[in-house]
Amino acid sequence: MPESPMMIGRVTRCSTRGFVGAMQISENALPVFGSLCQAEAQGGRSYVVGLVYDISITDDQFARQLAGLDEVPQEQIADGQLNRQVPVEFSALAVGFHDDDGFHQSLPPQPPLTLASVFSMVPKDGIDFTSELHFLQMILNAPQLPVDELLATTLRLSAQARPEEERERFLLQAGREVARLLAQDLTRLENILRGLRAKE
Amino acid sequence: MGIHLPSLLPQMQELGQALYERSLQVSAMIPKAIKALHFTAELDHSELQSKIKKAGNRWTGAIPTEETLNLTFPPPTAPQSLHVIGADGSQIYPDRHAAAFYYLINIGSIVVSHGSGKAPTIQQESQLFFELEDLYDEADHPVQNAYVNLRRDVAEMKILAEIAESLAGEQTLAILDNSLLLWMALQTGGSTSRETDLYLQQYLKLLDRLRSSKTGLAGFIDRPRSVSVLALIHLAGLPDDQITQETLRLTPFRGLTDRAIFTKLLPPGHRSPLFISASPLNRDFRTAGHEVHFFYLNTDADGSVVRVEIPTWVAQDPELLNRVHAGILKDCQTTGGFPYTLVRAHELAVIPAQERAAFEDMLQRTLLGHGLRPTQSQKALTKQLTGQRKQHRL
Repeated sequence: MPESPMMIGRVTRCSTRGFVGAMQISENALPVFGSLCQAEAQGGRSYVVGLVYDISITDDQFARQLAGLDEVPQEQIADGQLNRQVPVEFSALAVGFHDDDGFHQSLPPQPPLTLASVFSMVPKDGIDFTSELHFLQMILNAPQLPVDELLATTLRLSAQARPEEERERFLLQAGREVARLLAQDLTRLENILRGLRAKE
Repeated sequence: MGIHLPSLLPQMQELGQALYERSLQVSAMIPKAIKALHFTAELDHSELQSKIKKAGNRWTGAIPTEETLNLTFPPPTAPQSLHVIGADGSQIYPDRHAAAFYYLINIGSIVVSHGSGKAPTIQQESQLFFELEDLYDEADHPVQNAYVNLRRDVAEMKILAEIAESLAGEQTLAILDNSLLLWMALQTGGSTSRETDLYLQQYLKLLDRLRSSKTGLAGFIDRPRSVSVLALIHLAGLPDDQITQETLRLTPFRGLTDRAIFTKLLPPGHRSPLFISASPLNRDFRTAGHEVHFFYLNTDADGSVVRVEIPTWVAQDPELLNRVHAGILKDCQTTGGFPYTLVRAHELAVIPAQERAAFEDMLQRTLLGHGLRPTQSQKALTKQLTGQRKQHRL
């Protein structure tokens, strides 16, 4: 895993609840669903921590025309994926921020500004951020998102970022927190726990 | 308030009826034109040349070459690896009603290396023209749009020449989305000013560079409206003593185009024989060793017939001629008979409305930053205001 943050895009739309970023990047540099990222805010004094919940590629009629053919030359596929001005767009839910005092699991005081750089979060920072689990409540409260899948994937990725001997302990702790938060909704709780177990 | 659609309805009906009747007339002409083409092909070459000479300098038909007129030429084998360069340009014309008097030329280019599997190389070049010598001609008149077109066409050819030189020694084809003859651009107010001539000479020197780099050069004209081959077959049918400007004008093929007859004659992938353009503009090109030849080409199984223009050094080199023929077909395979490189060059060159608005905002901020007050003319302002009105929908 990379130890230095990789730039994955620039902010195009934003609010304190989240932000949308876009960039022309290669397939292997695409952000991953459920991964953590951070965008510069307050003139560099803080970073908004985002959780990637949607990745989309803008509609394009020319690409659609080529996609309908039996065979497309490799040069044209590479052109479509690397050169054409069709940026990958990703949406992130704000789940915290980082300032001089470290990570906080609450909505940021200010959103990042348009064109602010968005970086993937390095594993060390990811472990640090997920050592507290208050952000799970923010995910569960987010409207119109694939919340259950997002929660399970985030916890799985956070476990994988940890040393092998710590993973089970982290998942147990996270499972207990989810159980506490969803004590009134056992069906959803079962779904999320099943999602966690299936992908362990 | 826009178009008054109710009053146009009767005219629309008339238009539909007129086009339908014309299509019937044109369809009836095609067999006659094809028969006349076969007749022309049977004529002795020297006899045909004598008729062309008699038609005079003002005749703008197609001059035949040594290739038999009613033959078609099947697609040659395309090279395993081929670099196809495409260039296209767009512009913002000078506008005396705008906040500043300037114009902008934007050129997009692409090199697709067929057979490499690699992503093409793309390039965009934008240039702003605002100096007095750019904006006013020798008589101190503001430059016309045709003059901007001329500079744009030269800029397109310059990019093609530069890229072709960087690929010298490799199999390369350069395609321009236009006629090679600078025909449109040279309509600069009907005058051939010193500046126009200067750009023509620059353009011809760029063709020299493309020839030196042994590049297959082609001007690609989609859906051509040309009637020069029809003019030739009309001329061929006239007895020598009846060739006058008047009889040359009275063609029986009025309303028909060369494309219509070659759509019937050319199987997919085949090209027509080569012709030479009799345009007066071609004299300068001939003097410089770049006389423009052309052929028609069926680029698509659906019968998409285009006109391809090539300089004489491509026409006379079988390897380069085959490279142009096969290379264009290869480049058209996925894009319905129009070259992929030109689709992409256009995409890179075009200035979308949003980008133009962003550019104009930037211009206004720059002017303000220099203490200037950017003002549009009252006409431009009122057009903006009335243009924003939306029709109410129930």
